Amino acid sequence: MADHTSFRGDRLRDALRVYVLTDRQLSRGRSEQEIVAAAISGGATAIQLRWKIGPLREAAKVGPELREMCRAAGVLFVVNDRVDLALALGADAVHLGDEDLPLAAARRIVGDDMVVGYSPATLLDAIQAPRLGADYVGVGPVYGTSTKPDAGEAVGVHRIEEVARSLSIPVVGIGGITADNAAPVIRAGAAGVAVISAVVAAEDVREATERLARAVESAASGVT
Amino acid sequence: MPRVIPRLHLVSDSRVCGLDCFSAVALAAIAAGADAVHLREKTTPAATLLSMATALREQFGDRARLFINDRIDVALASRAGGIQLGETSIPVAVARALAGPDLMIGRSVHDVEGARRAAADGADFVIAGHVFETASKHGEKGRGLQFIEMVVAGCPLPVIAIGGITPERVPEVIRAGAYGVAVISGILAAPDPDRAAWRYAEALESSG
Repeated sequence: MADHTSFRGDRLRDALRVYVLTDRQLSRGRSEQEIVAAAISGGATAIQLRWKIGPLREAAKVGPELREMCRAAGVLFVVNDRVDLALALGADAVHLGDEDLPLAAARRIVGDDMVVGYSPATLLDAIQAPRLGADYVGVGPVYGTSTKPDAGEAVGVHRIEEVARSLSIPVVGIGGITADNAAPVIRAGAAGVAVISAVVAAEDVREATERLARAVESAASGVT
Repeated sequence: MPRVIPRLHLVSDSRVCGLDCFSAVALAAIAAGADAVHLREKTTPAATLLSMATALREQFGDRARLFINDRIDVALASRAGGIQLGETSIPVAVARALAGPDLMIGRSVHDVEGARRAAADGADFVIAGHVFETASKHGEKGRGLQFIEMVVAGCPLPVIAIGGITPERVPEVIRAGAYGVAVISGILAAPDPDRAAWRYAEALESSG
């Protein structure tokens, strides 16, 4: 199916280990380029361009540079919500939520090479996701979070375990995850952890990413 | 569908006419002669937009071209006939690369420079406005017919005028060089949308 540059298949699980989402409002005035460069040097394995405010035209301008930084580092480059932006930037992946383009429709327009991630609203949604074209699912909020006020009640690591047991595609935990509480998420069966504020709001983005990456690594090696 | 640039564009606005109401109005407008219908719903989630677009496209068949505002992905997924991009959207050249040659691309412009760029980047037409004061723009003063003349002079693409255009004003807008008109509240908020659409179509017809 996928050619050698695609992250679909065997490479995906490792690429989801330390997954950093951008958030302009939480970045303390720093540019996306600055945040992403620091996160990559700290060991991020995936970067998601998450463009919640401001014109998409600007994302189309910032995106190519982020895309190249990720490519050079072998990091998975993900675009949130907008399949058109993901296609325009040649992203490795697009991440869709409940109200975004449905998985099957997205898969039809992105073709076979692009990874499609999905945030299921229910366990049933999660179980159906692979058949509809999802390559991984994001599950959360694992812990309480202030970044996504609409994310709902914390579901706990129990939900990670439940979803990971039911699916053969990788599961990524998201929501309130930090270096200090990442280990239980990995031990519950997540392939990786996704963070926003724990990294992008940190004073030292690189150091924050390193701490998170270490926590994930040691939890993962404890599992195997 | 023939690649003729549409002349009478109906644009949705769910504040005036919800998406349920819009489908009925759009079909009546098409029967009256509207040849383009735009889904312009900036706060509607993509999933909802896609089902709406797919339903409209099936109802329209090849009687009118469906344009999706801003979301190229929804346009592609619904196999719409076109996309309408604004100043904050993904740039026209990028959109053209994604959309291929068949999808029609309109660009909304508020100055001559934007219209020139749209032409250079591969748009098929521009929607320029707003020409007259309109309820859709919260009573902002219109840019006037002069604005249409300027855009027509400065840009080789067909210019669709938008903003407060009543059927009575269609002739002067066409005389100013516009190729067609786009209408929101003139049809959606009319007591008889069907009749309003006929009047626009007739006015365009008789303005040549």
